[in-house]
Amino acid sequence: MLVSMPAQAVPPFARQTGLACEACHTIPPELTPFGRRFKLNGYTLTTRPPLVSDIDEHKKNTVWLSDLPGLGILFQATYNHYDRAPPDSAVPGAKAQSENLEFPQQFSFIAAGAISDKVGGFLQMTYDQPSGTFGVDNTEIRYADHSQNNDWVWGVLFNNNPGNQDVWNSVAAYPTLDFSNQSLWSAGGAGGAALSSPFFEGLGGLTAGPTAYIWYKDSLYLGASIYHAAVSGSLTSTLDSTNLSVGGGTLEGWAPYWRAAYEHDWGYNSASIGISGMYSKFTPSLIAGQTLDPGYVNRYLDISYDWQYQYNGQHNTFSFLGRYTHENAEYDPGLVPTFYSNSTNHLDEWNVTGTYYYNRHYGALVNFVRTTGTADVALNGGTGSPGYQYEVLEVDYLPWFNIRFIMQYNIYNVVKNNQNPFFLLNATNPRASNNNTFVFGLWMDF
Amino acid sequence: MRRLAVVTLLIVAAIALASTAVRDAQAATVVVPPDPSTLDATQLVSNACSKCHGLNGVSTSPLFPILAGQVPGYIESELRLFRQRGRSDPHARAFMWGIARALTDEQIKGVARYFSSQPAVKGSESRNPALADKGKLLYENGTPERDIEACTVCHGHNGEGVNSQPRIAGQHRDYFVLEMVQFRSGLRENKVMQHVTEKLTDDEIAALVEYIATK
Repeated sequence: MLVSMPAQAVPPFARQTGLACEACHTIPPELTPFGRRFKLNGYTLTTRPPLVSDIDEHKKNTVWLSDLPGLGILFQATYNHYDRAPPDSAVPGAKAQSENLEFPQQFSFIAAGAISDKVGGFLQMTYDQPSGTFGVDNTEIRYADHSQNNDWVWGVLFNNNPGNQDVWNSVAAYPTLDFSNQSLWSAGGAGGAALSSPFFEGLGGLTAGPTAYIWYKDSLYLGASIYHAAVSGSLTSTLDSTNLSVGGGTLEGWAPYWRAAYEHDWGYNSASIGISGMYSKFTPSLIAGQTLDPGYVNRYLDISYDWQYQYNGQHNTFSFLGRYTHENAEYDPGLVPTFYSNSTNHLDEWNVTGTYYYNRHYGALVNFVRTTGTADVALNGGTGSPGYQYEVLEVDYLPWFNIRFIMQYNIYNVVKNNQNPFFLLNATNPRASNNNTFVFGLWMDF
Repeated sequence: MRRLAVVTLLIVAAIALASTAVRDAQAATVVVPPDPSTLDATQLVSNACSKCHGLNGVSTSPLFPILAGQVPGYIESELRLFRQRGRSDPHARAFMWGIARALTDEQIKGVARYFSSQPAVKGSESRNPALADKGKLLYENGTPERDIEACTVCHGHNGEGVNSQPRIAGQHRDYFVLEMVQFRSGLRENKVMQHVTEKLTDDEIAALVEYIATK
């Protein structure tokens, strides 16, 4: 699975508009009401004169090129200390370290900005240290226009991460968190363990598709998308003997994604509620050693309800946001009971975050995640439960708005069965708290 | 569920088609060249200013001043200051230095005309009449023994503004207080206002806000 680095604040947009980070972000990547409107209007607001500009006989623009390329760099480094050395080998007694230092953990080259007066976008290339790979990350090209009185904004876009087109940070694809859950599971030391998450949250970079949306009176957002598998990472467009791998597979046909949200702003406050969903058909290639596409199809229906409250004051910024996601998974009869004990499973995820920053220099974050679901011994091992629960406690210091130091402690209360690498690799006395992690991190963009 | 996919695809196509149709319908009458220096005032307000100050000059967030009914000469002078980076309070730097950097004199005049012609915001009754009365006294008479001039001299009897001195009636309370405090500390440079505000206490600023909010 490709590790995605949230686009955070995008320096090329600041260069294009001449606006400081705080115009668009409370604290990156969370968007202010202005930042949401900048994105919904296609990233086209510019205060730079074009270097090249031409119009036709109707005074319509035919070409527009900025006088500077919209390039930027995002950089993230971490030091992790695990409560117990992660089981990085199935061999009993193998030596493992309880710390790692990644400099960088990830970094991205990003090209972003207005392409014409109605078209803008960004292309992000990210290096991921744990996997040692460099690949295409979040990518989007957006056309947007609006009525003269601004009551209607409409747009069409193409992107590769369902939900990343959203403007509220309460959706899974556009998270507020920088560093949480970056420890054992994404560091590649987890021996194949993975936390269960709703299916549509894992499609970033592995799919592509168009979206059309409308935004009415700065309050109502309606969007509809449809995604197809991309030939990328482990999610391949075809399954043949050379592409089969455990955990891989492909989206079958087109998967619809939809989104509705309502925002109300008053004073320093902004609040929104929303719903998003995706229906996906997926052909897994999880049968190790099988050399032909068996044609099995699993079906996933994910529905997510989200909210965000934001106070963006003169000195204090506060956010309380989160989502509840319910997933129904229906497995191909040919895979039951060998790979799934049940023909259908459900998964419920709560993800709630609160942040506070003073003068945008000092801040704290609390994140709570709880997942429960149908017990499935064949899928999850042990007692079959896919449940887990953890909290993230974080304090931040931003000497400058584009440089951020974080200290974080991840507390795991529940990590059941094969999701816990200590259980999966038969460590003695495996406990959820074995996964607790202290993180010291640096993030910057320029 | 194949039907759901087809329906979604149709919705995407329909919105895309409708967007194109609306755009083309507008293209015949509205010319929107992307060079910011060639945008007229209405387009500038629609594309940029309105995102913070509202299309009619009435901002939602007190981070941004209400511009509806503002004195045009004041809007012009401030935009020129922003353009030449001659005003350096934090919000001027964060927001207006960038927005104003490529504005032409003609655009500045046009934007000033646009916002000054919008209906001004009316004040509301005070919830603390005693404090408002104290503010009224200070506003109308100043405090000669402390060398504090009456506000009416520059801002008019009802806070409506005089010549190029700004309208302050109907302004967001928090914005008003912030600016007064920044004048006092010198963070927002203005010799006259610094001279006046450095003698004002926090309580007196609160009283002035309470009074001007009724206008």
